[in-house]
Amino acid sequence: MLDRTDISSSPRRRLWMRVILAGPVAILVALTLLAGMPLWLPGGAAGIDNLAIPLILAPLIWAGLFFHACLDRNLTRVALIAAGLFLVHGGLVASRLLAPAPVVEKAQ
Amino acid sequence: MIHLKKDETKTMVAVHGWSGILLGLLLYAVVLTGTAAVFAHEIGAWSAGHVTTQSAFEKPIDATVRRLAALTPAKYQDDVNVFEIGDHGLGVFFHRHDVDAKGKPAERGIYYQLDNQGRILRSVEGLDEDVFGPRNDDALSSFLVDTHVRLHLPNPWGLLLTGILGLAMLVAAISGLLIHRHLFKDIFTLRTRANPVLANRDKHSVAGTWSLPFAFILAFTGSFFSFFGTIGVPVVAMAAFSGDIEALSEAVFGNPGTVDARPVAIGNLDRVSADAVRRVGEAPTFMAIEHFGRADSKITVFHNPKTSDIEPVVLVYEGASANFIQAKPSVGTRPSVGGTLTGIMGPLHFGNFAGMLSKAIWFALGFAMCYVTFTGMRLWLVRRMDEKGSFAWLERTLTVVGFGLPLALTVSAAAFLITMPLGSSVYWTPAGFLIASALVILLSIVAPSNAMLSWTIRAATGALMLLLPLLRLLAAGGPGWGEAMAVGQPVIVALDIAFLLVGGWLVRECWRERRPTRTPEPTLDRVIEARS
Repeated sequence: MLDRTDISSSPRRRLWMRVILAGPVAILVALTLLAGMPLWLPGGAAGIDNLAIPLILAPLIWAGLFFHACLDRNLTRVALIAAGLFLVHGGLVASRLLAPAPVVEKAQ
Repeated sequence: MIHLKKDETKTMVAVHGWSGILLGLLLYAVVLTGTAAVFAHEIGAWSAGHVTTQSAFEKPIDATVRRLAALTPAKYQDDVNVFEIGDHGLGVFFHRHDVDAKGKPAERGIYYQLDNQGRILRSVEGLDEDVFGPRNDDALSSFLVDTHVRLHLPNPWGLLLTGILGLAMLVAAISGLLIHRHLFKDIFTLRTRANPVLANRDKHSVAGTWSLPFAFILAFTGSFFSFFGTIGVPVVAMAAFSGDIEALSEAVFGNPGTVDARPVAIGNLDRVSADAVRRVGEAPTFMAIEHFGRADSKITVFHNPKTSDIEPVVLVYEGASANFIQAKPSVGTRPSVGGTLTGIMGPLHFGNFAGMLSKAIWFALGFAMCYVTFTGMRLWLVRRMDEKGSFAWLERTLTVVGFGLPLALTVSAAAFLITMPLGSSVYWTPAGFLIASALVILLSIVAPSNAMLSWTIRAATGALMLLLPLLRLLAAGGPGWGEAMAVGQPVIVALDIAFLLVGGWLVRECWRERRPTRTPEPTLDRVIEARS
């Protein structure tokens, strides 16, 4: 389904937007998720799941963002999802870094 | 089956093609050396003529470690790593936690290299990144592994590059799955009597489809390993531990406990290794002693996965008493999803979880991936045959890398076998590779046709492979087949036979083709003729 933005854009411009969303934007959002996920994922039985799982999933997160940017016909939706993920996780990281006393989740 | 719309399939075909063509040559180099590195341990035993089969951990090590401790300055006795090197000799690294010149966490200490009789061959002092270089007896296997891991580029750039190649492979594997309209039909379709383009496309498609799950696993685990230390750990540490990488490592890999710095002699290490062998059924691969000579010392013993399991075994002992404490995951102190997933990444990537069988399967599927990468790039070129003038250079480059890399690796093996007895293999193994690579590139410039270039490289590779067993026997002074079998090293005989078979097959194929005509005859032209 195409939205107005997509219809009004020229094919070349749409291609470049897609390339930017699948390339630098996907990398930036994946890195932000990598930093932000340890702050909300549960630690699990050993208290390390929140640290290990983002590290393991990082290549797949990037691949998911990359293929979403390549295949979704609605570029606005791609941009909104990427922006949402970036803002939520970036905000979590910023609030942690700006917090007065770091609260480190230790292994049990 | 996933059915994409026509334009989406078109996008996926473009993504599949460009992900391969942009990084395909480097990806081919990484996959080929990785395929060989599956047998790095066996290649090390074959090339250096190892004739000992009993693990260093099945022999007394306690007295040796105490003797080395007496030689080592107290400043390096915080922690000790013990592991096997060479022909079941022992490597012992006494060290303390430190930082390198860039302020990054590192380990500084003295690395002792001992033979299988407990004699000190060499000791090196410095940071871990400096002391653990290749040795004269493992220069060939080290060269293979280093090429695969970081293409000999300095850290972190080499790891970042191989990580990006892993992502490119991930993209090629997923897009390859998505563009199959008839997946189950395609994996059995081989039209050998069709025109060359169709026949080659079928071969590429069949090999690629069968190895698709493997390609996905390799790409995923490979990019995980490449990005783990270079990007992943610093980013997670920045967010969760205010940038303290040591704190992250301690949380994930450490053995938490009450601090007790009272000096207490380390317990009997022979008792620890014997207990570990009894519990797991085979010798450990690595032993790490934290807080050596302190009351709160802990000994962690690492094993390969047990038979019919995929997760490595890790046992923890009290350092002072040598008493068993617990079996734990590779990551974390108790079983968890994250710990299990992290633990199986290594065996999934290296294929070392079921002995020779899993290694043979990983080797075969790795070879299939090389074939898929190479034929994929050739198909991409053939599809653009109307523009062949602009892509002729790429065709030659493909031949240089596709056939030249195996030749250069074979030359590096020959260089190792000749120079190991002289003690200069650390220099000549990579030098042999570089000289062969330079000669192949030079040949690609002067060769009148791509067919002649390909023929010459393949014939040279075959001839040299036939010579390798002789070089091993005569130049390197390795054991004969009878001796190798008698001491329980059939892998030496097996690799000799493998080189003879592959070398013989290559020479036979080249002999059948004879020397191609000297008139320029680009392969793309032949395809066009076959099509018309």
